[in-house]
Amino acid sequence: MDIIVCVKYVPETAEAEIKIDSTGKAIEKTGLVFDINEWDDYALEEAVLLKEKLGGTVTAITIGSEDSDAVLRKCLARGADDAIRLTDPQFEGSDGYAIAKILSKVIKNLPFSLILTGAQASDDGYATVGPILATLLGIPHATMVKKIELDDGVAKVNRELEGGLEEIAEITLPAVLAVQTGINEPRYVSIMGTRKAMKKEIKILGLADVGLSENEVGETGSWIKTEKMYVPPVEKQAEFLNGSPEEIAAKIAEILKTKGLI
Amino acid sequence: MHFELTEEQKYIKAAAREFAEGEFQPEVAREFDQKHEFPRAIYKKAAKLGFIGCYFDEKYSGQGLGLLENVLMEEEFCRVDSTLGSAMFAGLFGSDLILKYGTEAQKIEYLPKSAQGEWVSAGAFTEPAHGSDVTVMDTVAMRDGDEYVINGAKTMITNAPIADYAVVLCQTDPEARHKGQSLFIVKKGASGFDSNELTGKMGIRASLLGEYSFSDVRVPKEALLGEENKGFYHFMEFIDVGRINVAAQSVGMAQGALERALKYAKQREQFGRPLADFQVIQHKLADMALDIESARLLTYKAAWHVDQGKIIPKWACMAKTLATTNAMRVISEAMQIFGGYGYLADYDIERYYRDIRISAIYEGTTEIQKNVVARILLRE
Amino acid sequence: MTEIFVLTEHRQGQIRDITFEMLSKGRELAGKTNTELTAVLLGKEVKNHAKTLQDYAKRVLLVEDTQLENFNSDAYQKVLSSLIKEHKPLLTLMGHTSFGVELAPSLAVSLDTPLATDCIDLEFEGETLTVIRQMYGGKVNVKAVLRKAESYIVTVRQATFPVEKEAPMNGEIVEVPSPLSEEIAKKRFVKYVLPPPGGVDITAAEVLIGIGRGIKDGSNIPPVEELAKTLGGALACSRPIVDKGWLPNGCQVGSSGKTVKPKFYLALGISGAFQHVLGMKSSDVIIAVNKDPKAPIFGVADYAVVEDLFKIVPPLKSKIEELKR
Ligand SMILES: Cc1cc2nc3c(=O)[nH]c(=O)nc-3n(C[C@H](O)[C@H](O)[C@H](O)COP(=O)(O)OP(=O)(O)OC[C@H]3O[C@@H](n4cnc5c(N)ncnc54)[C@H](O)[C@@H]3O)c2cc1C
Ligand SMILES: Cc1cc2nc3c(=O)[nH]c(=O)nc-3n(C[C@H](O)[C@H](O)[C@H](O)COP(=O)(O)OP(=O)(O)OC[C@H]3O[C@@H](n4cnc5c(N)ncnc54)[C@H](O)[C@@H]3O)c2cc1C
Ligand SMILES: Cc1cc2nc3c(=O)[nH]c(=O)nc-3n(C[C@H](O)[C@H](O)[C@H](O)COP(=O)(O)OP(=O)(O)OC[C@H]3O[C@@H](n4cnc5c(N)ncnc54)[C@H](O)[C@@H]3O)c2cc1C
Repeated sequence: MDIIVCVKYVPETAEAEIKIDSTGKAIEKTGLVFDINEWDDYALEEAVLLKEKLGGTVTAITIGSEDSDAVLRKCLARGADDAIRLTDPQFEGSDGYAIAKILSKVIKNLPFSLILTGAQASDDGYATVGPILATLLGIPHATMVKKIELDDGVAKVNRELEGGLEEIAEITLPAVLAVQTGINEPRYVSIMGTRKAMKKEIKILGLADVGLSENEVGETGSWIKTEKMYVPPVEKQAEFLNGSPEEIAAKIAEILKTKGLI
Repeated sequence: MHFELTEEQKYIKAAAREFAEGEFQPEVAREFDQKHEFPRAIYKKAAKLGFIGCYFDEKYSGQGLGLLENVLMEEEFCRVDSTLGSAMFAGLFGSDLILKYGTEAQKIEYLPKSAQGEWVSAGAFTEPAHGSDVTVMDTVAMRDGDEYVINGAKTMITNAPIADYAVVLCQTDPEARHKGQSLFIVKKGASGFDSNELTGKMGIRASLLGEYSFSDVRVPKEALLGEENKGFYHFMEFIDVGRINVAAQSVGMAQGALERALKYAKQREQFGRPLADFQVIQHKLADMALDIESARLLTYKAAWHVDQGKIIPKWACMAKTLATTNAMRVISEAMQIFGGYGYLADYDIERYYRDIRISAIYEGTTEIQKNVVARILLRE
Repeated sequence: MTEIFVLTEHRQGQIRDITFEMLSKGRELAGKTNTELTAVLLGKEVKNHAKTLQDYAKRVLLVEDTQLENFNSDAYQKVLSSLIKEHKPLLTLMGHTSFGVELAPSLAVSLDTPLATDCIDLEFEGETLTVIRQMYGGKVNVKAVLRKAESYIVTVRQATFPVEKEAPMNGEIVEVPSPLSEEIAKKRFVKYVLPPPGGVDITAAEVLIGIGRGIKDGSNIPPVEELAKTLGGALACSRPIVDKGWLPNGCQVGSSGKTVKPKFYLALGISGAFQHVLGMKSSDVIIAVNKDPKAPIFGVADYAVVEDLFKIVPPLKSKIEELKR
């Protein structure tokens, strides 16, 4: 079973202070810590688990600048066999569609029975790359995947629906499965893995190698283009409870009391 | 001259950081600090991932890396948490002596289990009457046929209450002082070999401290580690490396304290502005960074020499002195920046403050380090 | 006159709320762009749904086929492309749900139609379509334009557009024969499953304490559980807590978990991603504790506490015990 996993290097923003940069179209990236996209982390783990069970190879692919080698090294250290980075100044500004086009051009020349992506990326949240990639490759897909069982050329998957409900679907391989968080427990990077990863070469391909024209990638090759970025307006102004932790606790307790909950 | 870590070293550092951030939650650390307990489960996890004994050969379940890589891991672990971070490297204390001087049989018996986190070890040198001065030991090992018989006592021994084996420095020729000392590996459960815990430790409470007593403990002659009557010299080489490890842990703890102080200084407001706006605080932060970076450089230098095959006592002692002294100052300043809150357990600075203190005492006190440096300077 | 398509989302005999939200927004957009609002309904034996939809749209396009009984993006894609090719709607709206996420991207590729996903607002400025989306877990908004085209596809976020009470439209039902000639072979629906239930029923609790990734480790949960007990309430959580296996599935609040409406919801270390907020925003009183003053959760909270949750939990517990005495 040869598996391809598409990963993205994204800034961790849940706890960070975010500032919009001078172009007004992106955030200030300096000072932010980058790591593998949370959903991709699960996708990678799933790929490695499947490989450990069934044999075969795992190839990790990312689109990004040199910095994102870090995410590929992480994949290699965690069990991927090969890594490819697609990079070109022209790729800048690509949306999910353009990204999927670039990926599909490279992937179609690789051997694979399964492609795993994250269900979405924590930065732009498009949730489109997996299904677009599948469509461009002419193979079926499933998103929000929470469980994968492979049997005789068919993937039996649990898809997460709303409200805690799941559906089971059968997909004929080769296919793209976009993985939801919680499908497994991603492992730590080990020292053994790190050392192995360092001995591997990351294959680097640019626009020309990919076989796309300038117009097909970046902003011009995209469906959607950012006009401006801004801090969301406050819809409801919460009342801030200030003071020492004890004082705050007293205020919360008071609120509970007036509500008749104590 | 080259001041960059290799790519591999950078990734090793990142891996250590990721593990520490995942496992060393402050609440977990506070709990171990309060319970005075060794974090076995976390230790085993770290070992399984290759963080323990990374400089052991691969055939002994190590990673075949160098001391510098170990230094980087120690730094990252202690930066994330002083208590749990330092405990991770205490687990295999003493086993380096087997790596360096052991017979193949000894290596195969002890090293893999140590590197895999299955066994915890102790290095027993200090005695009630001999701390800084180990030139003569009251613990004696006398040859009796194919065995040695050990009698005596050791105190302030890390892991003594839980260790699966201990490397013990004994006097084998009582007349010859340091030229008559030898090392022995003594296994837990040996008849006449007992331990008990020493409680009330100020810091590093996730590693346990205890004392050993030996009363007619019989060990086979195969338990002799290294050359007979060369124990003192073996120990000296060992402790030089240990000193670099202490330096690395100190740099890590100081770095962790600085990062916490930086964050706090930006958040906390007094007199209508963040603490970080006061020049006094800014200079404190700058001094802290200076203290750390200088110590780090000297520590790396000392470790690098070891990896080149040269254990240079001067660098080891200098690194330990500078790193521990600076780290104590940095952490003290971090507490100052935290004001009264730093003195309370919630912000962990108080724990760092307690944890760093030992580093100026064990593996040779600062005074002893300076004695060594001075002796070398005067001789050179 | 061209149309705006709203794709009806239904499951297990129920039209889902998102459909009505889209129809409300669709009606507004149709008014502004001088187009007609069409509800597209695909399914098997769903005429009852078609009748319901008549009130909300000018036209209900109904396609019935056994292969449309349960949602299958391959089948849906085939039918929708044929409808879109024929009707050339200016815009097709679908929910950014497990349904829309599976369908919209491949539909857009197959029709070569620009797509914007997870939009919280959209507007035509002349012929260009402008959308508002969120990035970085809701910390910033983005105004974006779609590549100019004759037809667009947009998926919209749930519970974003209010369902306005408006006069019924009495739309006509137009039955279209199914274009599905062969079997959809590569993707088959098998069945629905409910994950095993676990723990208490959080939807019944009057007081809920929701914990998020700020809790850092499963071992930190017991003190919060104690706090919940002191209050006679229950413990709820955001998704990562369930993903990590620290609390059972049944405790998760949000779009893929439970929707709760307690009298009091205390969010501890939850950033406020919309998927979570969807499940708890109707709580009577919401207090959020978060170290980050810019956390989006403060946008739905009544009271905001910028503090370390671990500093708040112990004194809060003692304060409550004090008041109870
Ligand atoms: C938490 C902890 C863990 C330890 N772990 C171990 C372990 O695993 N194995 C082990 O063998 N030991 C261990 N020790 C013991 C430690 O190595 C000794 O405490 C240390 O070597 C100092 O010895 P001492 O306590 O006897 O102090 P002393 O030697 O009595 O020294 C007291 C003071 O006198 C100074 N002094 C002594 N001699 C001189 C001199 N010549 N010139 C100037 N000043 C001098 C010292 O610097 C110090 O300030 C541990 C100790 C602690 C507290
Ligand atoms: C054990 C204990 C007992 C206590 N007992 C009492 C008590 O009985 N009564 C009482 O009232 N309080 C008491 N306190 C509180 C104590 O007085 C405060 O902690 C102290 O005044 C410092 O205030 P802070 O902790 O808020 O620190 P901060 O005021 O936040 O100061 C933090 C740091 O910023 C520095 N800083 C602040 N302002 C400036 C400036 N303008 N320029 C340069 N640097 C500045 C400070 O020097 C410090 O290093 C106690 C605290 C403790 C820990
Ligand atoms: C299809 C889909 C469905 C989803 N369904 C759901 C769902 O049903 N429910 C749900 O919750 N999520 C759901 N999610 C996930 C959602 O997008 C977010 O990833 C998730 O809600 C984030 O959880 P969090 O707020 O706990 O963590 P984070 O976003 O990581 O936020 C943690 C917060 O804790 C704060 N913090 C950290 N430490 C402390 C401290 N000591 N004290 C105080 N604050 C602290 C930080 O400042 C941060 O704001 C879904 C996602 C997708 C794609």
